[in-house]
Amino acid sequence: MGHLTRRGFVGSAALLAAPAIVRSAFAADTVKLGCLFSSSGTMANIEGRLNHVVRMAADEINGRGGVNGRRIEVLTSDPASDWPLYAQIGRQMLQQERVAALFGCWTSVSRKSVLPVVEQNDGLLFYPLHFEGDENSKNVVYVNSPPASSVLPAVDYLMGPDGVGAKRFFMIGSDYVWPRTINKQLKGYWKSKGIPESAWREEYVPFGFSNFQTLVNQVRSFASQPGGQPIVVLTVVGSSIPDFLREFANQGIAATDVPILGLDMVEADLEGLDTGQLVGHLNCWAYLQAAKGERNQRFLADWAAYVKAKGVPFSADTVIDPMVSAYDSVHLWALAAAKAGSFAVPEVRKAFAGLSFADPSGYTLTMTGENNYVSRGVFIGSVNERRGFDVLWQSPDAPKPVPFSPYG
Amino acid sequence: MSGAVQTGLAASARVRRAPRDPLIAVLVGLCLAAAIGLVLGRPAPYLVNAVGQLAAFAILAVSLDLIWGYLGILSLGHGLFFAIGGYVCAMHLLAHGTVVTGTLPDFVQFMSWKGLPAYWAGLEHAPYALLLALGLAGLVAFLFGLVAFRSRVNGVYFSIISQALVYVAMLLMYRNDTGLGGNNGMTGFPLLFGWPMGSAGAVTGLAVAALLALAAVLAGTRLLVGSALGRRMLACRDDETRLRTLGYATTRLKLQVWCLSAMIAALAGILYVPQVGIINPRVLAPDLSIEIAVWVAIGGMGRLGGAVIGAVLVNALKFWLSAAMPEAWPFLLSGLVLLVVLVLPNGLLDLAGLRLRPTWARGAR
Amino acid sequence: MNRVRAVLAALAMLALPALPAAAAPLERAALAADLCGDAAAQARGAEGVVRAAADASAEDLRAAGHLLAALAERRLACGSAGALLLDRAGAPDGQDALTGATRPAAEARAPVLGLRQRALVETARAAVALLTAESVAARAAGLTTLERRAGAVPDAVLERARDAESDPGLRASIAGAAQAAALSSADPEKRRTAVAAVAAAPSGASLARLRALRGEPAAASDPAFARALDAGIASVERAVRIGDGLAILYNALSFASILFMAAVGLAIIFGLMGVINLAQGEFIMLGAYATWGVQEAFRHVAPGLLDLYLIAAIPVAFGATALVGIAVEALVLRHLYRRPLMSLLATWAVSLFLVNLVRVAVGTQNLQFAMPPYVSGGVPLYADFVVTWNRLFAILFAAATLALTLVVLRRTPLGLDIRAVTQNRDMAACLGLPTRRIDRLAFGLGSGLAGLAGVALCPIYSVNPGMGSGFVIDAFMVVVLGGVGSLAGTLVAALGIGGANVLIEPLSGAVAAKVIVLVGIILFLQRRPEGLFAARRRR
Repeated sequence: MGHLTRRGFVGSAALLAAPAIVRSAFAADTVKLGCLFSSSGTMANIEGRLNHVVRMAADEINGRGGVNGRRIEVLTSDPASDWPLYAQIGRQMLQQERVAALFGCWTSVSRKSVLPVVEQNDGLLFYPLHFEGDENSKNVVYVNSPPASSVLPAVDYLMGPDGVGAKRFFMIGSDYVWPRTINKQLKGYWKSKGIPESAWREEYVPFGFSNFQTLVNQVRSFASQPGGQPIVVLTVVGSSIPDFLREFANQGIAATDVPILGLDMVEADLEGLDTGQLVGHLNCWAYLQAAKGERNQRFLADWAAYVKAKGVPFSADTVIDPMVSAYDSVHLWALAAAKAGSFAVPEVRKAFAGLSFADPSGYTLTMTGENNYVSRGVFIGSVNERRGFDVLWQSPDAPKPVPFSPYG
Repeated sequence: MSGAVQTGLAASARVRRAPRDPLIAVLVGLCLAAAIGLVLGRPAPYLVNAVGQLAAFAILAVSLDLIWGYLGILSLGHGLFFAIGGYVCAMHLLAHGTVVTGTLPDFVQFMSWKGLPAYWAGLEHAPYALLLALGLAGLVAFLFGLVAFRSRVNGVYFSIISQALVYVAMLLMYRNDTGLGGNNGMTGFPLLFGWPMGSAGAVTGLAVAALLALAAVLAGTRLLVGSALGRRMLACRDDETRLRTLGYATTRLKLQVWCLSAMIAALAGILYVPQVGIINPRVLAPDLSIEIAVWVAIGGMGRLGGAVIGAVLVNALKFWLSAAMPEAWPFLLSGLVLLVVLVLPNGLLDLAGLRLRPTWARGAR
Repeated sequence: MNRVRAVLAALAMLALPALPAAAAPLERAALAADLCGDAAAQARGAEGVVRAAADASAEDLRAAGHLLAALAERRLACGSAGALLLDRAGAPDGQDALTGATRPAAEARAPVLGLRQRALVETARAAVALLTAESVAARAAGLTTLERRAGAVPDAVLERARDAESDPGLRASIAGAAQAAALSSADPEKRRTAVAAVAAAPSGASLARLRALRGEPAAASDPAFARALDAGIASVERAVRIGDGLAILYNALSFASILFMAAVGLAIIFGLMGVINLAQGEFIMLGAYATWGVQEAFRHVAPGLLDLYLIAAIPVAFGATALVGIAVEALVLRHLYRRPLMSLLATWAVSLFLVNLVRVAVGTQNLQFAMPPYVSGGVPLYADFVVTWNRLFAILFAAATLALTLVVLRRTPLGLDIRAVTQNRDMAACLGLPTRRIDRLAFGLGSGLAGLAGVALCPIYSVNPGMGSGFVIDAFMVVVLGGVGSLAGTLVAALGIGGANVLIEPLSGAVAAKVIVLVGIILFLQRRPEGLFAARRRR
């Protein structure tokens, strides 16, 4: 995996010995892209996959002759789930390696950590995760959906007659800004619908929390109270997701009694679980592996082939939304760079307006000149016995992204 | 105190007094040279920034070495004081930015507060913020140390309890309701004394400040450990009971140095945060506090220069390898630690032959 | 509340007089078409099965059951030529739902059930199971599901099931359920029996049902009913409170058992050698990975015995981690006994190494475990108190670990040696005990115990390379609070910390609970550094 090796060594030697700029010549026919995804630490299991997807997309583009006559060279790194290190490596990649764009970050805090770096160096960061919204930097491309255009449609569906007619809500989240923002917006939304405050409860757990017995007991007693169909809006992240699901199933609560809407739940979270007891629980993303269409079939086959060919240490038959979003990111960047005929960030940014890309989800992604958000479709998935999600509902088209929520 | 006792102590101090230490002088000189080089040479900003960060880490390592190497107290909670400095500094930067630009920081908007909370008052003034950071770190250290040292919590117990302390602080700061940004922490600092944060001037200024601070801390702590107080520290490390029997107030001694060490760690935090542009509870992770001890051990504990060398070496390797050879870095670090611990009891200084007497053989625990 | 009443009333109206009219036999073709239709048609089909269940022939019901099961499991393929039953989801061909002929499923689509329809299908399947399943257990499971959907099932279905039931216990349960269903009956006598029947199976849900009745005109106009209702509510309230208390006790016990298992190995190592083993969490992780290895071996060698792998993993996990522990001791710690703080850093390096070794060798994903029945699911024991098997497994496992450790320490020569060295190393050495060898064996024992904890944690937590890091601080708190070198102290401290966490959590949230407990321990240790049970020893 040594990609920065030689030049990195020179840079580091300079760093240790004498503070001088060392610029070794590099081949003029390549353009560099940088990845900021951890392959160790708490985020390793989910973030690690994205390095490989970015590579795969770059290979694909290189196979078609590259961009503007140049081959793409992907630099990967390991920020080790250590937030300041994301900024440090990002800075190094922008200043030392002169990467044309960065692809990276999963958690909001890592994005916030890199944000000043890309703004100060006028770089571009493609951020493949859905997040809390309320941010709009000209140096970040928000490839996934903000809550107002992904979470609200899903909750709306659950509250409607086609869903379960949900009337009461138990919100359980990890204690940080994404769950809290989502829940804040949901509460604002419910208030606007005239739902009384007594109809919801909100609980937060620390990162990596796993002892969910007491909380699941509370969910059961919440569910047994009168007032209408309860649902759980689950915004815990990481290893807390499987641990919560396991306890939920073991205490005998079925999806038909109290469905869980797991907003950060992906196929990878079901690895290691017996999903027979979890069938029917829901998630909501801009891509599901079960998405119909030939483009998705091709993507899945490509990924499986790539895993096999390169010995990638991740499952060949699990594809999650952020992987597709990272894949889309590379293609969006390549399209913009080709359209601009340049790799200079201001030019590429200008080229975003009117860009469109038909991605594996089946929707056509579009960007406008208004902001750096991307229009994506919305899927609601339903857990099946095979540790995957069936598509329960999907939006008729890709809604226009709403970066700033109207509901507080 | 009888004269005889004093003579005895003085005699032993003469024997044990560290030989003249050219290493410190060399390092101080290097710091000053590097500072001048940064100003005149104008290298790439990321290099300047990296050098500045390394200097901050080195200060942190010196602060730990002061109590571990010279007093035999291993704190696995030094991240707490580093974080106190960092958080107060971040609060200052945000408060200053709010005053100048008029926009409230992200997390304040997120918490739906109308303005900065009352206890932020005055933080936009740098001298007050500096005093507050150092004072707060000193106060927390004082309270914790007072109880711990009076109950004679020693050795590994102190390590475990200090680790639990930093862990509690981490859990607290991760809570959004605690009010300092929760997991996202504080970021997006707009200005440094009126300069735009990312400008070459600000970056260089910060790095130079960190280097000068490192030089000052090195020189200051060197004076300290060479003084009578420093000799009492060594005596206390080697046999606290005997020193106490001889009539010295060891609790007060330990408390003084402990508080000083905490304030130096806070200084490192103050210098670190504006350079990385973010502070978040991660710095309170118990792992990070252990890593500080690892830097010191690798460089060579009980030798202030060793702490600096360890911190700079480990972090420079980390910056480089986590980009260049992401897979290899953790193996290399663990191998380095085991090598040092098993083969080089005084750290890498053993390799250089700079070390004359093994510290551990005298029973440092 | 009004809604519940309205639904109950509507269903009572619908069920009683409508039944004779709905006696039409189950039309398989129509049902198959409905289940292949849109959401409304699926709901109609499922509800039709429930309505017809009282009269339809067993054969028809079974056929309907197959269709419903296929739909729920996405094995129902709907094409232009009619519905197909597949053997597994995504199979290339299947049997025609009506003729049984094998046909390819190429262009057929497998409908996905919406949640609302899934609930109806579940009810219908439960009714079919109650009436036609071969095994008592399957019929009882059907009844349990039907009881959760109070009011959705016509009385006649329960009556038919009661009359047809051969198992006396289940028959009584069905009768109870049938009585409970009559809460809103017009007959005051039936209503009172219903209250008693509902109160006999107390839960939060039954409490809500009874309370909902309190405001109804029937309760106001019929004092006897009101009295029965009040008595019922009071008894259910009491039972729910007891059940909640039991749940708290159980939660505390299960958390404490996890803490104890994580800490017991540390307690021995720390007590004996004063070594802070920061790699203890990674030994737990290794134990879990050894368990996974055993499972994979079973899968390949003896798939029929797969359910027993957790038991077989016990000696393997113990042995494997003990060996790793002994290796670590021999290669690293042996050289560091005079420098406990350095051994702390060394074990930190070992933990870093182990985590990354496993990460590179196996990968970062959560390991996939087949969960045998004795560690998955749970059984409602009393009111809302559910005993979950995986936690019970951990509790029993912890008790066994405790017993084993006691036996080793108290009844074996090694235990005698360990205790002697713990109490006075120099004296033990003078008496000719090979203290170094004892250290090594004790370190192996302590590591092996961590490996055992790994086995017990497999059914509870996700297993990945980083799983151990969360345990170390908690485990050290347990050891230090309990008092170094005291097994009783470790046990009491684990129970205390586990209990305090579980008690505080509902009041102030999980984060604050942890903070409060830790701060309490820190303050306590500052006052009393030797912990709860200070072992007498000389160093």
